[in-house]
Amino acid sequence: MIAKRTTAFGLKMKHQASLLILLAPAMIWYIAFNFIPLIGNLASFTNLKSVVLPWKIVGFDNFIRMYKSPDFWTAFWNTLIISFFYIVFYFPMPIILALLMNELKNRSFKRAVQTIVYIPYFFSWVVVGSIFITLLAPNRGIVNIIIGFFGGPSDTYFMASTQWFRPVLVMSYIWRQVGYGTVIYLAALSTVDLELYDAAKVDGAGYWLQLIHITLPSIRNTIVTMLLLNLSAVMRIFDQILVMQIPAVYSVSDVLRTYAFREGLDNRAIGYATAVSLLTSLLSCLLVLSMNKISKAIFDESVL
Amino acid sequence: MPLLPRSTKMRETLSRRVFVILNIVFLIVLCIVYIVPIWNVVITSVADDTDVQGNVYLLYPKSFTLKAYLRILDGGYFKAFMLTLVTSVIGTVLSIVFTVAAGYSLSQKNLIGRRVFMLLITITLIFDVGIIPRYIVVSMYKMTNTYWAIFIPMLMSTFNLIIVRNYLSTVPESLMESARIDGCSEFGILLRIIIPVAIPIIAAVTLFYFVLYWNRYTEIVMFINDQTKSTLQVLLRTLMFEGDSADSRVQIFDNFKMAVMVMGMLPVLVLYPFIQRYFISGLMLGSIKG
Repeated sequence: MIAKRTTAFGLKMKHQASLLILLAPAMIWYIAFNFIPLIGNLASFTNLKSVVLPWKIVGFDNFIRMYKSPDFWTAFWNTLIISFFYIVFYFPMPIILALLMNELKNRSFKRAVQTIVYIPYFFSWVVVGSIFITLLAPNRGIVNIIIGFFGGPSDTYFMASTQWFRPVLVMSYIWRQVGYGTVIYLAALSTVDLELYDAAKVDGAGYWLQLIHITLPSIRNTIVTMLLLNLSAVMRIFDQILVMQIPAVYSVSDVLRTYAFREGLDNRAIGYATAVSLLTSLLSCLLVLSMNKISKAIFDESVL
Repeated sequence: MPLLPRSTKMRETLSRRVFVILNIVFLIVLCIVYIVPIWNVVITSVADDTDVQGNVYLLYPKSFTLKAYLRILDGGYFKAFMLTLVTSVIGTVLSIVFTVAAGYSLSQKNLIGRRVFMLLITITLIFDVGIIPRYIVVSMYKMTNTYWAIFIPMLMSTFNLIIVRNYLSTVPESLMESARIDGCSEFGILLRIIIPVAIPIIAAVTLFYFVLYWNRYTEIVMFINDQTKSTLQVLLRTLMFEGDSADSRVQIFDNFKMAVMVMGMLPVLVLYPFIQRYFISGLMLGSIKG
């Protein structure tokens, strides 16, 4: 009896050991590239310039410098403004597109649209940026040719215009991302109980009433989840802007991440850049957690 | 009495018809907005030098030549292309091994400390480490400007790990129990039972990882400033946005730029038609709340 139990215990230990061995490589990676960098955030309180140089602790100097730097505040407000634009202009797009596509009776046409719209999601921001620079080139890009055709000025240099660069960011963001969201919303829409619509039709409800009382409530969870994902993503927008911005448009497009990147890598102010980076992560974390709380309170639905 | 409902019904069908037509027209225009820019790039990339010196990017084929691609073949861009391909493949293999092993382990309900491990992983989703601290540790590990820096620091994607774990959690416990009673080891179970049932998710995650590696830009710029070790995306960005070519011998015509761009999207363009359904199914699996 005892012997049997020890073998069972031994088996259990062996089972646990193998599970831990399987988990180990990933956990070591997480420690090395996620948790040690978390400690690296302490560099915010140093004057670290490059990783080999001697450094000393400077307390809150970096945060004070940040507070006094006009460039930091430009980046701060740009982050908020651009994030706001993304939420307002991008977020509803996949919902609208999915609703429109859901009305299609022809399945192969529906699939074709979905396939085409989903393609750019797999292109890098460098490729998407390159496509837009080609599309928007002064005089020779398609957009300027079309404007010229209708008698407008065809030499607008959209990518270098402080007036146009933000709309270009939003448009290219929509162009690349909308297919991804649409696929998710279409999946959610396909789970809506069709009998609900029949019942609503019997009651004489038109399209808009059905939309408000059946369709949207049925995909509410997906909408809330996507909103939260979007919020956490927009605060971190970085790759797109790093790729697409040129110095002429820094004033309207520099966000906290690109600012930290330049301070750290180009100006070799690692300590200061870490402080900016830490603040960004904290803000984004705060935003996500509070949104989660709000969604819990309103919809009784926690996403995290 | 029956007149009124019929007339409303007729009005509704009319407005419905208008809507259906407008909807189809809108979606066709939308598809054009997606196809034309890509078409534009591809057509210009196969045009002859003389056809791309005019004032427009080409919208219809004027000539067909692979000249621009041949120029890429004997220069720094081709080396970058191969480097990107090789590191993407190696990186994807490593990532998938790490992810499936860890995903299986974390899907086992009796794993000691499972909650702690999951909490740690979830933290990385909510609190993003940020780019500069990551740069500091990669420098500390003396990894900057080495080929390792192209894939090691970005090996795991928490999103992918969670979808694999969630999928494997749905594999019935009884399957594994019976194998364990037969004396099968944990590794044996993973290889013989788990992997075969998890093929769809493994396929989807493999694709996601490969695309992540292929498209990577920011981390490469951060960790590597030796141009001979740069990946294709980095060189493409310099070529398109700064007008500097990694290949000083080549005179930059538009067809050359566009050809490098086509190389930058090649895997997606080539594979997409065949594996699109995996991308979509992967996304569905990912959207299951975890």
